[in-house]
Parts: sequence; C-alpha cells; structure tokens
Amino acid sequence: MAALSCFAKTDTVAKKKPAVVRYDTASVAIRHFDATAINEFKKQPEFNYNDNYSGPSLWTRFWKWFWSLFDFGKTTTGYSRFWVWVGRILKYLVIVGGVGALVLLILKSAGIDLGLFRKRSRSAGIPYGEFDENIHEIDFAKDIEQAASAGNYKLAVRLLYLRTLKQLNDNGLIEWQPNKTNQAYVMELSNSPNQDIFKQLTNQFEYVWYGDFAVTGDSYKNISQMFGSFKEGRS
Amino acid sequence: MENENFEQRTDLSKLNTAVEQIKASLGKIIVGQHQVIELVIAGILADGHILIEGVPGVAKTLTAKLVAKSIDAQYSRIQFTPDLMPSDVLGTSVFNTKTGEFEYKKGPVFGNIILIDEINRAPAKTQAALFEVMEERQITMDGEAYKMQEPFIVLATQNPVEQEGTYRLPEAQLDRFLFKIEIAYPSLEEEITIITQQHQQKTADQLAEINAVLQAADIVSLRQTVRGLHVEEKILAFVARIIHETRNNKSLYLGGSPRASLAVVNAAKAIAAIAGRDFVTPDDIVKVAAPVLRHRIMLTPDKEMEGVSPDDVIAQIIQKIEIPR
Repeated sequence: MAALSCFAKTDTVAKKKPAVVRYDTASVAIRHFDATAINEFKKQPEFNYNDNYSGPSLWTRFWKWFWSLFDFGKTTTGYSRFWVWVGRILKYLVIVGGVGALVLLILKSAGIDLGLFRKRSRSAGIPYGEFDENIHEIDFAKDIEQAASAGNYKLAVRLLYLRTLKQLNDNGLIEWQPNKTNQAYVMELSNSPNQDIFKQLTNQFEYVWYGDFAVTGDSYKNISQMFGSFKEGRS
Repeated sequence: MENENFEQRTDLSKLNTAVEQIKASLGKIIVGQHQVIELVIAGILADGHILIEGVPGVAKTLTAKLVAKSIDAQYSRIQFTPDLMPSDVLGTSVFNTKTGEFEYKKGPVFGNIILIDEINRAPAKTQAALFEVMEERQITMDGEAYKMQEPFIVLATQNPVEQEGTYRLPEAQLDRFLFKIEIAYPSLEEEITIITQQHQQKTADQLAEINAVLQAADIVSLRQTVRGLHVEEKILAFVARIIHETRNNKSLYLGGSPRASLAVVNAAKAIAAIAGRDFVTPDDIVKVAAPVLRHRIMLTPDKEMEGVSPDDVIAQIIQKIEIPR
C-alpha cells in the first residue's frame, strides 16, 4: 500500500480555459474580376467551349469525296474484288505521285534542280525567211531567171551559190548540211581541184549576201558567168 | 580580201599592215599559236579585255608582254598575289602633310595596257576592285571619278582553276573579258623549234627583239574603223539565236548575257577586219563563239562531272543552228 501511495497523487490534468472567439475585424479589400477583360476573352474563339459540332469540315468532306472516287468496287449486290483492287492501286499511285510532287517542290525551293521538268532545248523562234528552204526542192533555173529579170540580183547570186552547193553535194564532193558554214565547205574541198574556184564563188556570194554590196547588171553578168562556167565544168 | 566585182567601201590597208607587223614581230619569238595571236589582236581591235589561260610554262605571260611591247603605250604590270589589296591595284588617298589634305595616289591600273599576271591568285575582294575599271573604264575614289586613258586594255593571265593556289574568278568579272583564250601545249615540231630557237639565241632578253609597231592613238583610230563594219540583220539574228540557245540548253546552268551577244558581234567585226573584209560572215561568228562564250557560260554540275567542256557545248549549240545563207 505504501508502495502504491507514492502514485496516489491528485489528477494533474490541467483544466482548459474556456475558448474565446476572436473575430478578425481587419478590413478586407474584395477584388472583382475585370468584366471588360472577361468579355474580351469571351469574344475569342479559343475560349469558347460550347460544343457546336456541325459535322466534318469542308476540307474533310472534300477528301472523303476525293477518295470515294476510287471506290470502284461497290455494286448493288456487294463488292467486286477486281474493281476494289483497281481503286486501291489508283489510290496508292495518287499518294506516291503526291509525295513525289511534294519532294520535288521542296528540292526546287531549296535550289536543287533535278532537271526533270526542264524545257527541252529548242531553237529560238527568230525567223530568217530562208530557213524553210530545201536546196533539193528549188527549181533553180526558173527562180534564178525570175530574180535576174526582176532586177533582184542579190537573190539571183544567192540562188546561184545554193545551186553550186547542191551540185557539189550531188557529185559527192561535199556533204550538204544547213548548219555548215561556207568555209567548212571550202575545207571539205581541200583535196579537190575545185577548191580555188569554189573559194572565189564563195567570196562573190559573201560580198553580195553578207556584205550588202550593190550588184549592177554588169557585175551580175560577170558573177553569173563565173558560176556558169563552174557549173559547166562540173556537169 | 579583194573582189574585182566590187569596190572596197572601207580602207582597211592600215589595219591589215599593222596586224601583219604585229604577227611578224610576235612570230619571231612565239612559235605557232597563230590563233592565239590573232585572237589577242582581235580583242585589242574590238576594244575588249583578254584573259589568257594555260598551264604553267606555255608562254601566257610572254605572249601578253610581247603584245604590250608591240604597242607604244603606257604599260603597267600587276602581279596578283593572295595578299594583294584593292588599294594596291586602284591606288589610295594619302595625307599630304604640306598641304594638310588627302591626295589620291594612282595605282598601277592607270595605264593603257595593263598586264595582270596570275589574276586568279588574288581573292574575290581584290577581283571586285576591277569591276568598275574594266567595264566603265573609270575609278571612283572618295566620291571622285577618274577616267582611264584610251586605249585601256587589260591582258590577264591565269592558270586553270584546278591548279593549286588559284581561285575561281567571279562570274561578273569573267563577263567583262571579251575573250578567254586557251593556250594549249605546242606540237612536237613546235616544241623542237622552241628549243632550237632558245638554244641559238645569243641574248637572254627576248623582248629586246620586239619594236613597237603601233601607237596608242592608232589603236583608237583602228577601233573606230572596226566599229563601223557592216553586219547584216540575219547575222545579228544568228548571234541572238546562239546566245538564246545557251540559255535554254540543258547542259548549261548559266547561259550567255546580252553583253555576250554584243561581245560576239564586236569580236566578229575585228576578225572580219583582220581578214580584210568590211562585213561579217557566219564564219566570223563561229570563229569567235567559243573564246567569247566559254568563260561566260556555266555547265550543270552533272555535265562538269562527266568531263564535258564549255567548248563542246558551244559546238553542239552552233551545230543545231542553221547558217543564214
């Protein structure tokens, strides 16, 4: 008992004081939303959460219609396997073509030209007037006579020269090509006794045709004789 | 070239005598290279600048020096090096302490015949300094324009761009050269003649044998004559077709400019005058087409890799066009 008595103490739990309610009497500044800013936000479509879905967009509808063009296989009784496959192949071709075009466009914008769609080299459309002629189709005797009688000696000399070229070509001494120069023909005759006289005839033609030297009746007579004797010598 | 049926309209005797003298004079030292010499003379008569290209040791500089020596005019030489500055070519403003003002000290580009040796060894910055003087024949420095004296001829030499230590010249500058003349190796016979000549030569100074055959004023007068030569409309159309074709050719990345068209006509006039004619023929055009166009056109990378040369493409283009006849 004595041992227990040491524990026999009075309850030492403190009695709590009664709670006192204290009111916060400090003044509070109430903040309000800025109505103008809210209205501004409301006007922006990004903040409009109303779900007014009115079906797919025009873009989506276009593609749906576009791909439906390849939907060949659908018939009233079901699907035809053959046409389904044709449609699929066409679809893939269109996709591959589209991707290819996109790649080319990107390469082109990057300055890389693959030359796939470059214009083919073509001659400039500058008319010369004499270009459409074929020396094998010209009636030289008639045309030279006509030009000379009309006093167009310049043209007559030109025709005389063309006739000479035709004659040399027919005899296998030169190979006529519209893109060969007169000196190229002179060089072709380097092993021929005709070279010197042909050189002189070329000289006459060039003075008249490229030099624009005036040809009188007398000088035409001389020139015509030179060409004539060459023709006689060759024929 | 005489023609008994027609009277000569233009007196080309002085020009032909001068050309023959220059050819004879240069022929004493330069073996072969007749076409090169003719083109250099044509370039001078056509009021153009000339770029001579060749591997080391083919007498590029010697040819240019001999041409310059055969004309009695103010000659100036600029050796282009990688560290050359624009002011080393054009000149610069120097402060004069006596007057208290800046004075323009003219550079070596002021002269009649300017030999620019190894032009492609200087970088683009220095090349750009030549743009104005080559095209407009004047230099603008500190707001003042200084006109070049007539005649003003730039004779430049260069090694091929594949050679070590060279730069590719800017397109704008290349377009300012009337001709790019390529000097090839001599033939075996020519090489033997060169060695024999050198072996027998008593003096070391080859240039001492060359005398001036033309005055600067003569060049101006001869150029006037060349400018007045007759060119038929169909020949002009032929030139236009060639240049137009270079712009549409699939082997070419860059075609000829309108300046190239004018250059072809002017050069062909000079070639015609040298031949003794006062009119241009299609042969003259064909003859000058490659030297006028080869440095102005640019091959596509694939053609360049295939080893196609600009001359090949030019020949192909001309072959496709009908000769006005």
